[in-house]
Amino acid sequence: MTDDVIAERARHDRLLAAWRDPQGLWGFLTTVDHKRIAARYVVTTMFLLFLAGMLALDMRLQLSAPDVHRMTPQLYDESFALHGSTMLFLVSVPVMEAMAIWLVPLMLGQRNLAFPRLAAFSYWLYLGGVLMLWVPHLLDVTPDLGWFEYPPLSGPAYSPGHRADVWAQMITFTEVAALAASVNIVATILKLRPPGMTLAKMPLFLWAMLVASLMTIFGLPAVMLATSMLISDRLVSTNFFSPAGGGDVLLFQHIWWFFGHPEVYIIFIPAVGFVSSIVETFSRRPIFGHAAMVLSMLAIGVLAFGLWVHHMFAVGLPRLGNDFYTAASLTIALPAGVQIFCWIATMVGGRPRLSVPMLWVVGFVVTFVIGGLSGVMTASAPLDLQLTDTYFVVAHFHYVLVGGAIFPLLGAFCYWFPKATGRLMSKRLGATAFVLIFGGFNIGFFPMHILGLWGMPRRIYTYGPEMGWGALNLLATVGAAISIAGGIVFVVDAWRSFRSGQPAGDDPWGGSTLEWASTSPPPPFNFDYTPAIDSLTPMWTGELVAYDGLGIDKRELLVTSVADAEPLYRQNSVGPSIWPLIASLGVAVLFVGSIFTPWAIVWGAIPVAIALTFWFWPTRDRATTGPFRKRSS
Amino acid sequence: MIAERKRHRTTIPFDGRARAASVAAILLVTVAACTKESRTIGPEQPQTPPNGPADPRTRYFEGNAYQVSQGGRYFTWYGCGSCHGDNAAGTLDLAVDLRQRPLRFDQLYSAIARGHVHIGIDYGSKIPTEQLWQISAYVASLPRLKPERRHREDLDEAGEPRGVTWSGPVR
Amino acid sequence: MRSRPAIAATLALGGCSGAQTPLAPVADQAGSQYHLLLLMLWVCGVMYLLVIGFLIIGLWRARGRHAAAPPPLLEPADDRLRRLLAVWAAVVVIGLLVLAGGSFLVERSLALAQANESLRIRVTAHQYWWRIAYRDPASGRWVETANELHLPVARTARIELGSADVIHSFWVPNISGKMDVIPGRANAIDLTPRRLGWFRGQCAEFCGPQHAHMGFDVKVETSAAFDAWLAAQARPAAAPRDAEQARGMEVVTREQCAMCHTVRGTAAIGRNGPDLTHIGSRHSIAAGTLTMTRAHLQGWIAQPQAIKPGTMMPTVTLSPADANAAAAYLESLK
Repeated sequence: MTDDVIAERARHDRLLAAWRDPQGLWGFLTTVDHKRIAARYVVTTMFLLFLAGMLALDMRLQLSAPDVHRMTPQLYDESFALHGSTMLFLVSVPVMEAMAIWLVPLMLGQRNLAFPRLAAFSYWLYLGGVLMLWVPHLLDVTPDLGWFEYPPLSGPAYSPGHRADVWAQMITFTEVAALAASVNIVATILKLRPPGMTLAKMPLFLWAMLVASLMTIFGLPAVMLATSMLISDRLVSTNFFSPAGGGDVLLFQHIWWFFGHPEVYIIFIPAVGFVSSIVETFSRRPIFGHAAMVLSMLAIGVLAFGLWVHHMFAVGLPRLGNDFYTAASLTIALPAGVQIFCWIATMVGGRPRLSVPMLWVVGFVVTFVIGGLSGVMTASAPLDLQLTDTYFVVAHFHYVLVGGAIFPLLGAFCYWFPKATGRLMSKRLGATAFVLIFGGFNIGFFPMHILGLWGMPRRIYTYGPEMGWGALNLLATVGAAISIAGGIVFVVDAWRSFRSGQPAGDDPWGGSTLEWASTSPPPPFNFDYTPAIDSLTPMWTGELVAYDGLGIDKRELLVTSVADAEPLYRQNSVGPSIWPLIASLGVAVLFVGSIFTPWAIVWGAIPVAIALTFWFWPTRDRATTGPFRKRSS
Repeated sequence: MIAERKRHRTTIPFDGRARAASVAAILLVTVAACTKESRTIGPEQPQTPPNGPADPRTRYFEGNAYQVSQGGRYFTWYGCGSCHGDNAAGTLDLAVDLRQRPLRFDQLYSAIARGHVHIGIDYGSKIPTEQLWQISAYVASLPRLKPERRHREDLDEAGEPRGVTWSGPVR
Repeated sequence: MRSRPAIAATLALGGCSGAQTPLAPVADQAGSQYHLLLLMLWVCGVMYLLVIGFLIIGLWRARGRHAAAPPPLLEPADDRLRRLLAVWAAVVVIGLLVLAGGSFLVERSLALAQANESLRIRVTAHQYWWRIAYRDPASGRWVETANELHLPVARTARIELGSADVIHSFWVPNISGKMDVIPGRANAIDLTPRRLGWFRGQCAEFCGPQHAHMGFDVKVETSAAFDAWLAAQARPAAAPRDAEQARGMEVVTREQCAMCHTVRGTAAIGRNGPDLTHIGSRHSIAAGTLTMTRAHLQGWIAQPQAIKPGTMMPTVTLSPADANAAAAYLESLK
């Protein structure tokens, strides 16, 4: 071995020593390695996806024929409430955050996120939310009023006990977790970019995560407000939603949907990022219309906050208002349509290859556009009066959420699995899983458009034989079963590939962005040197320039300026810490206690304050600036 | 300078056995499910009055949130509030009266079913048995409830029919 | 309403009865919504085909490429694609404008209700049934019935909606879109049916465990038939005609049923549950759950919780003879 190689090895080992986690349980509980935290998030969300899928299968079996009495109405109501709440709060948003937590530092050539402990805290709180919903389910205190529990049905008189409180606090947990993750991502993307990555040279995936995180920061406080007001009505006799007490039932709906509509775009926009990365790599050219794509994402991010009343067209609001929201809801189809064009144009103008991730992108286009068009139909207020609260809208939102978020997610999973694990997934099993899931989904959900047009309302546990809905419902059940079989194939493929798949190498797909410059899987510190870039596709434009100068025996990150990514200073980054876990335990006690008594907020704040004090106790000096220069070789 | 504190190097393995043990513990806890919030709706409601102080159904009804809430609703429907409502005084104020002179569940049931004969109403034969159970459960809960809790539930139920003099929903 | 044969064919194919669907409109409101649906299907269908066509071109470029990645194309010639993007954006904008315009026009037509005909009907939604009240033209009193709405053809009826408990939604798809019934809010909806027949409505906002069984029947009839029906509804209950019905009347009007139900002209004046004065004349019972037959009546009285678990009607312990008698009496209340 040459001296150079030995020196590199020694340098690598010193970095490893600085960035490695402690062993065993303690390391597990204190890690602030963004990749480990993201892995935890992904495993948890995939498990919950499975649970929610089982609930869905149960409901589909119940509905596959008329007058089935296998499930009691109470059990059915609990099933759809759990299914919706799990999918929207515990799977869709967290899994997108997880992908961001994993990928953002890698795509930025950075060693970690801006706030490592905050990332750990967000996972523990998310786990608290999972337990907040599912442990009461095991104790038969399951929420049973749907994923948006409107008062007065969820109010003190018509929802006795604590079921609605459990649901409301689960939301509080997951929303604080989402806010924590989003703040982290925004700070990382704005301040921790590699030298040369001006905003104009930032990959679309990072734009997507930036926009989604900003939307989360603006939108999620509304849902915390709505659910906290509901708990307050139920616990301390405020009358926010009680008409006889001077309140307004519709206030809940307005605040709820002000969050609820951006929520679905918060789920969709990261998928835009996934699709852009996959299409770029497998079409072997930069995405067509980069400026149009960025502007479309920003437009969607802003417009999404002005549409929420389209969930309330049937409540009797003034008609002129309905017309305004119809116009706004139709308008958002334009940026979405532009994006679809740009992706396909990239394929048409490139040298596309149908790998498994690209299959998922094709599935996404075919499915999501149907969902978008049924969305255009429901955007029209007068037509929506026939379509809302029927199976037509159930079909619509599954098409946009599954087609528009889950399919890109599965594609992203296949695309980045080699980078995360160092192994390739099976092409055959991947294509099989795709065909089963895609085919099963469309067989399962397309008939629901027709069922809605045949008058079948939502959230009914059974229906009479004279309605004529039996045949299509049976078909929908068959489709659901097929896609679940496909899901099993997918999981089997992932497991087998993880254990014994072909070694992937650093860059199996020939990707264009910086994560492919690291090893597969990356070391805890991600990159030996700090890469600098000068184009949107740094891996394709010749030799990668590397900078040296970040500390090797301690954890340091390079902070750069917001617009032009000029290096500003080095920041001491935090190592493993137990305080995120302890703080989240304190917060969990506060949240759970406040279901039972408002005093929990007062007394529960004390352990939280103590934990936060230890967490934020200043112990790091400012980084001493030293030489930071290009690496000569 | 390295990150803030030196980590105490423990190597507690979190291997297969430890994981299995913790899952088993969680499952054990959950098996002891509580019935306070369970909802038995359907034909299994009781069809006979309580048969004495030791009737096992009593404990379920007294503690169950759903049954108590249903009882509160029927309390409104049957116009009990016209005598026992917010303006009740003396022995008609059930919460106060029951705190001073507590009654067992079966005694309460009898008081409702047979104790109104002096005003000419035989609730025992007019109100179905399962509703009498629920109303008894509700009345039994009144001494324990804060008045503001009853009040907020009453506000939400302001549109419900109230006996024969109902004037319509809240619009 | 002109493409009815095609729609009827699709409905028949699915075994759908056509009585609860927006695809078979019989009223002004549903008619304009149906035309808007057709416009939407055309425009959206064309857009989808354009997208899929473009995708197929992209996939065509991918044929035969399964080997390792070719070198990336860093400066592709994108002029044609840029022009195509501009065209596409224009197409999308035009499509959306057409749909927005159609939507506004339909919304205006829905808002311009001809409510000068003063047929006002009060509908109160309960868990899980519909209280329906008409003003009797003769006496000016409100006449109550339940779960069955009669409408005279070619007249606009204004339905005033109120909820006794939680949020429900009033929806008769063949006649009109839905309107939520919200406690504390005075919503109203106008219905202008144009064809005779029986239709079905169903609650369209989740309201509790028996939301699935909260339907109601709607009969559109000629003005004369409607007036006759309303006059009949305004009359008090028919007297029992035999011993069994007399025993049934005793059971219904003097025992537990009377605590919640009204049978006008008798001692039963309860307001908590549906009015039973003319229950024998209704199309269905238990809010559209069972058709109106003697057997169904009897089953419902004996075991409401078995048929509709969670309904507010309790199981009433009656001897078989009394249950028979009660069913006989109620069936006779036409």
